[in-house]
Amino acid sequence: MTATKHIEMHAVRKAFRFFTLEDLTLELGPGQIMGFVGPNGAGKSTSIRLMTGLLTPDAGEVRVLGHSMPREQAVAKRDIGFVSDDMRLFAHATLGWHMQFVASIYPGWDAKYAQTLVKRFNLRPEQNVSGLSSGEHAKAVLLLALARRPRLLILDEPTSGLDPVARHEVLSEFMDVLRDEDRSILFSSHNTVDVERISDRISFIDRGRLIDSSDKEDFLERWRRIQLQLPAGTTVPDLPHVVSRVVDGQFVTLTTNRFSQDLLAFLGSNVRDVHRMSLEEIFVANVMHHRETRGQ
Amino acid sequence: MNMLARKLIAKEFYLNRWLIAGSTLAGLAGLLVAAGGEMRFNIGMVTWLTTIVAFGVVLAMLGIATERKERALQFVLSLPLSPGDYVRIKLLGLLLCFFVPWAILSTGAVVLIGVMPGLPDGLLPFAVLLCGFMLANFSLVLCGALHTASEGLMTLVIIVTNMNVTLFIFLIGGIESLNFHLHAPAPVWNNAFWTVLAAEIATLAVTLSLPYFVAARRRDFN
Repeated sequence: MTATKHIEMHAVRKAFRFFTLEDLTLELGPGQIMGFVGPNGAGKSTSIRLMTGLLTPDAGEVRVLGHSMPREQAVAKRDIGFVSDDMRLFAHATLGWHMQFVASIYPGWDAKYAQTLVKRFNLRPEQNVSGLSSGEHAKAVLLLALARRPRLLILDEPTSGLDPVARHEVLSEFMDVLRDEDRSILFSSHNTVDVERISDRISFIDRGRLIDSSDKEDFLERWRRIQLQLPAGTTVPDLPHVVSRVVDGQFVTLTTNRFSQDLLAFLGSNVRDVHRMSLEEIFVANVMHHRETRGQ
Repeated sequence: MNMLARKLIAKEFYLNRWLIAGSTLAGLAGLLVAAGGEMRFNIGMVTWLTTIVAFGVVLAMLGIATERKERALQFVLSLPLSPGDYVRIKLLGLLLCFFVPWAILSTGAVVLIGVMPGLPDGLLPFAVLLCGFMLANFSLVLCGALHTASEGLMTLVIIVTNMNVTLFIFLIGGIESLNFHLHAPAPVWNNAFWTVLAAEIATLAVTLSLPYFVAARRRDFN
């Protein structure tokens, strides 16, 4: 039997006056962490609002944990922990009050785990939310989502307000969540270092379109930068899957999204160096390539 | 009413507890001053009236506009409810928060007029209509806050509802058949009274049902 996908978006369209999310198709299975990466204004938050039922698609279908969104969002959200970087708690209530409030709504609230997180994140339940620093506030919101033990965590730029140490703590918690194979995380960010660290699937979005989606390892294996030194008077012919070419005299740098030994063999003795690319380099090259292809 | 709705309504009472308590005390203090004699009556009743009107505006602002502006709305909408549920629960929650002090202070005013020596009971219909007006006026602010995310429009709603108080007193004062009996020793519940009361009830019905049909049915919620 096929397990229900935790997120299924098929040919989703959502138009606003100055922005359109177009033909978004996306899937996230149980036990996966998907990094949802895009520049500012790419459509990450719009996609997430569609997943959480706050927006209604103009076309296409959104299903989360098997529920049709936005129609069945109240049921779906019983098993969703949603956190965004601009989500705020009630300023004039304490963190402890928020913990009690959320615990009273979610039967799956794990009080022991919540206490563990309070200690690990160095938070004080008796403190008013208005007195929390931005990093503490971000951790408090995450605590409230994590201790519900949701099957699906949807996180919209959750680490953007955190210092490097806090980011490390929070990302470690995300990894812990995945110990249960039925849980999954969709993690939106433009911080590719965080995404590379925890994700096993990655989707790139730019200007309202999904431009690539694959396993992280697949991205890291497929993308290479190849440096060539060409004999005088020669050029490299047009090659398939070469997304960029930078020429500096007799030195040429090729970026490919389908690296293979066949390509290396074809380039032969001209190859001086082959670099693996970081996720950030892949992301930038991917975005620039798609913008050029679409003439934007 | 389901468990989540009860929790969210209790949340409204908790978050607005000081405002509710403070407004009730300020209104009661106004009534206490009003009970101190004919001279103090006007000062006390102005305090009472201002307290109830201001309480309604602040309650709607804090409960809806500020919650949205300070992004706590996103936290609420992450809970297992739909935006339509949110609108319905918010409407009921804030209405109940307003209702408690309003009921106490309205009852207080009516009792005061009834028992205070030297005050004609003919004032009672006017007091009842004024109390009804304040409830309808609050429901108008609430309805406005649930329908607009614009600070400019919200400010306009507040200005209009504040002007309504003066306008209402002016209009009621102009209805001869009501005005005529103000100094009567016994209250006169005539047609003019029932007509104005019906208009207040109609305003309440429209402003309280509009969010169910418009705000709660929005396709997009931010």
